[in-house]
Amino acid sequence: MSFFDAINISASGLTAERTEMDVTAENLANASSTNNGTPYQPQAVDLQSVGSGNSFENELVSAMGGSSQSGTPGGVEVSGIVSENVPAQLVYDPGNPQANKQGYVKEPNIQPVTEMTNMIQESNSYQADVTAMETSKQMYSDTLELLK
Amino acid sequence: MSLLDNTQLALESAMSGSMLQQSVLANNLANADTPGFEPSNVNFQQTLANAMSDGQSPTSVQYTSTVEPQTTSANGNGVDPDMTDAQIAENGLLYQDLVQIAATREGILETAMNTTTSA
Repeated sequence: MSFFDAINISASGLTAERTEMDVTAENLANASSTNNGTPYQPQAVDLQSVGSGNSFENELVSAMGGSSQSGTPGGVEVSGIVSENVPAQLVYDPGNPQANKQGYVKEPNIQPVTEMTNMIQESNSYQADVTAMETSKQMYSDTLELLK
Repeated sequence: MSLLDNTQLALESAMSGSMLQQSVLANNLANADTPGFEPSNVNFQQTLANAMSDGQSPTSVQYTSTVEPQTTSANGNGVDPDMTDAQIAENGLLYQDLVQIAATREGILETAMNTTTSA
């Protein structure tokens, strides 16, 4: 366990939320990218929690026969950005140069309302992480007050 | 009786427990969107109280986090962000209390030793 664990964990949350917001923004920006017949596939972020189990410090301590400082978590990380498995939707637009014989264009199946809801949720999570970080910062500076 | 009495040692032990709890709560909040994540918590007051009633020295207390399964959302995540936020604020205030009490007690010692604090 190192001194700034709590701040590092909150920081990992900030990184993850920012990545999610980037992906949401990309989905929204590409809501009508038809890409010449292979429409844009909406992306999603896979998150996973980081355990403290395989950290160098813990491995070393347990290899030397000590009891590892269990319980110190490692935060969150983005394990991957994956394409969502949603089929493209057919939109009737016979004037479009990419329309097929029946006059339909393949467009990405992106719901702006869903994406905006995700955006709000991610923004709230980001804010919560910032608040936690501020509390941790306050705790560290309280500790320094002890030395005065 | 040593210079630092048991209460002072207990305060310092509680501070390290509170710091661990802060890490664990921050981790819960960071994982608020991770599928299947189960939140943990550190019940450091109970651990410390048990150790002290068993006659252990507060400095030898080891704090660990325990998984606390909660009613989960659709993706198996059990974190309640609002509750976690409140716990973090509470823990921050508690830590501040501990620091202030510890500092005041040290101030009393200093007065007794008739030292002057230098800036």
